[in-house]
Amino acid sequence: MQLLQQLLNGVTIGSFYALVALGYTMVYGVLKLINFAHGDLFMWGAYAGLTALTLLAGGPWAAGTWMIVPAGILVFLCIALAGVLVDRIAYRPLRSAGRLPPLISALGVAFVLQSLARNLYGASWRTYPQIAGLSGGIALPGGLRIGALQILVVAIAFLLMAALSLFVHRTRIGTAMRAVSIDPLAARLMGIHVDRVIALVFLIGPGLGGVAGLIVALYYGSFDFTLGWTFGLKAFIAAILGGIGNIPGAMLGGLLLGVVETLASGYVSPQWKDVIAYATLIVILIARPTGLLGERVAAKV
Amino acid sequence: MHISERVAAATLSGLASFAILLSGCGGGQSNAIKIGLQGPMTGDYAYEGKGFENAVRLLADRANAAGGILGRPVQLLIEDDAGDPTQSALVAQRLVDGGAIAVIGAYNSTATEPASEIYNEAGILHITPSSTAVRLTQKGFPLFFRVCFVDDRQGQFAGDFMTQVLGAKRIGILHDNSTYAQGLGEEARRHLERLAVDVAFYDAINPTDKDFAPILTRIGAQRLDAVFFTGYHSQFGLLMKQSRALGLPITWVAGDACNNPVMIEIAGAVNAQGNYVITEPLPKDLDYPEAHDFMAAYAARYGEPPASTWTIMAAEAFHVIRTAIEQTGSDDPGVLANHLHTTLKDLNGLTGPILGFDEKGDRLGTIHLAYRIDGQGHFVVHERQPGEVSAAQD
Repeated sequence: MQLLQQLLNGVTIGSFYALVALGYTMVYGVLKLINFAHGDLFMWGAYAGLTALTLLAGGPWAAGTWMIVPAGILVFLCIALAGVLVDRIAYRPLRSAGRLPPLISALGVAFVLQSLARNLYGASWRTYPQIAGLSGGIALPGGLRIGALQILVVAIAFLLMAALSLFVHRTRIGTAMRAVSIDPLAARLMGIHVDRVIALVFLIGPGLGGVAGLIVALYYGSFDFTLGWTFGLKAFIAAILGGIGNIPGAMLGGLLLGVVETLASGYVSPQWKDVIAYATLIVILIARPTGLLGERVAAKV
Repeated sequence: MHISERVAAATLSGLASFAILLSGCGGGQSNAIKIGLQGPMTGDYAYEGKGFENAVRLLADRANAAGGILGRPVQLLIEDDAGDPTQSALVAQRLVDGGAIAVIGAYNSTATEPASEIYNEAGILHITPSSTAVRLTQKGFPLFFRVCFVDDRQGQFAGDFMTQVLGAKRIGILHDNSTYAQGLGEEARRHLERLAVDVAFYDAINPTDKDFAPILTRIGAQRLDAVFFTGYHSQFGLLMKQSRALGLPITWVAGDACNNPVMIEIAGAVNAQGNYVITEPLPKDLDYPEAHDFMAAYAARYGEPPASTWTIMAAEAFHVIRTAIEQTGSDDPGVLANHLHTTLKDLNGLTGPILGFDEKGDRLGTIHLAYRIDGQGHFVVHERQPGEVSAAQD
């Protein structure tokens, strides 16, 4: 029974990794750029959520669980806008400069965003307002227990991931996005507005990342400006593990990383968690260098 | 290769002369007594660092308003070590270069350890307000002191408290691999084993983690009567919050790095309720005229009285340095240290009588208390350590 509880714990943290990993994978899929600023946009989602919830809690209406919805929409809009701005300012001018300059530019943006958060919100831990109705839990037979917040958080994560999957595979614009990721030049020749597609990627990826920041901060209740670094790195690894550029891969990678980490700290020790998780990663990458669901890249002549 | 080396050397010497210029500029108060303070002004422990700074600034300004120490003004040099050992060594060197005769700090033992080496080397009086790891005073540094009490006594009290007061039979210990937390955990385990009590669980978390559900699930399955967490307040807040969310009936007992209200804010008062913290007395429970006087002045200047014990301990460190300078009429670190080791006895401190310091630099006596956290998140005195200050020796 402890095993089931641990799997549940693993899926919870894994769905956070997956949600953040989506942003890395989408940008990489379209631009072949590792957007290191994504972790810090995610962290900004937590701060934007703090501001939104604090404002909402101070309003003339009854505070409650419903506030998460408008806060989530606000955070999505703010961070999506920030994502598009980051692309416009730091990546787009470097589009034809090869692969290294945009990567370094991304690292630069990450540091700027992190310092900005520290200077504006302070270096100490910030806590979310307690929201009534989310503190309870459900006891299942066999001593298993799911917290109300855990259900909410995992449900939101899976809903968002499903919506994104549908969007990419079932809509015209999603098809355009996939076309750009396969071959930008051919896509342009077929009449696809590539820059608009890229802007859309920078709208959705960071937007979802921002919502993930809100959810993570809601779940743990407190965070500081280093949140993007710790979670971002794990999510990036999850994206690689699943096969970077591949949306179901990011979800699978995130969940797998979460479960392996959880089992390692639950059955061995938290001190050995990273050793076991990263050793697993290395083994998987040796067996499948392009990740679990990554396509085999044929050598170009 | 040659060129780049020459460029590097030129840059370095340029920087060095710039630094000399800068330090020359600070010489406006040439007869000032320079006292350094290092603490975590940023990072996880920023709350405590800010408390250090507030306390020491307040006392320095009061000393200066009263004509200084020995008629000389006090000049503070304040540095941020972020609780990090690497940065701690850097800022310690800066304080040495800045001409401090005594330094107060650091907050956590992990940061105090490398700094103590540098101050010892440079011959500067070094007093930590809050680093309680036993090994810090085992190195035989003649200029190193602490105004807090050492972890072997805290660990013993924690063990006695859990077995005798809480009646725990099966006990768990959780630390975070830091110098302080591991030391305190070991002390408690050794004491419990002497008492022939079953330490059924002993493990460590990573201080950078946020999700403790896996280890909590494992602890919950062990059916422990009490778990002693020896790490820091941010993680303790998360541990209490997450163990309640998982519905685990764990009775937590934490050490003296968890005695501040930030922890309650992180956990939520509902989740913290019913758990215990072992610590030196909180500011509100210090019933000494020196303490009342300091608390009133602090509240007047900063809007609220200090909530953390370590804020008072930082003030205590300043008080000890000032007293030593005044009693010896000297600002020589060696003379001051010798005075503290041998002559200073029964000084009225903010945290109670300072009986003196032993040859290792540890403050004599012990005054740990066990607090219970109530439904509003307040700390309520639950148990006092037998044989407090007055009966203490060793």
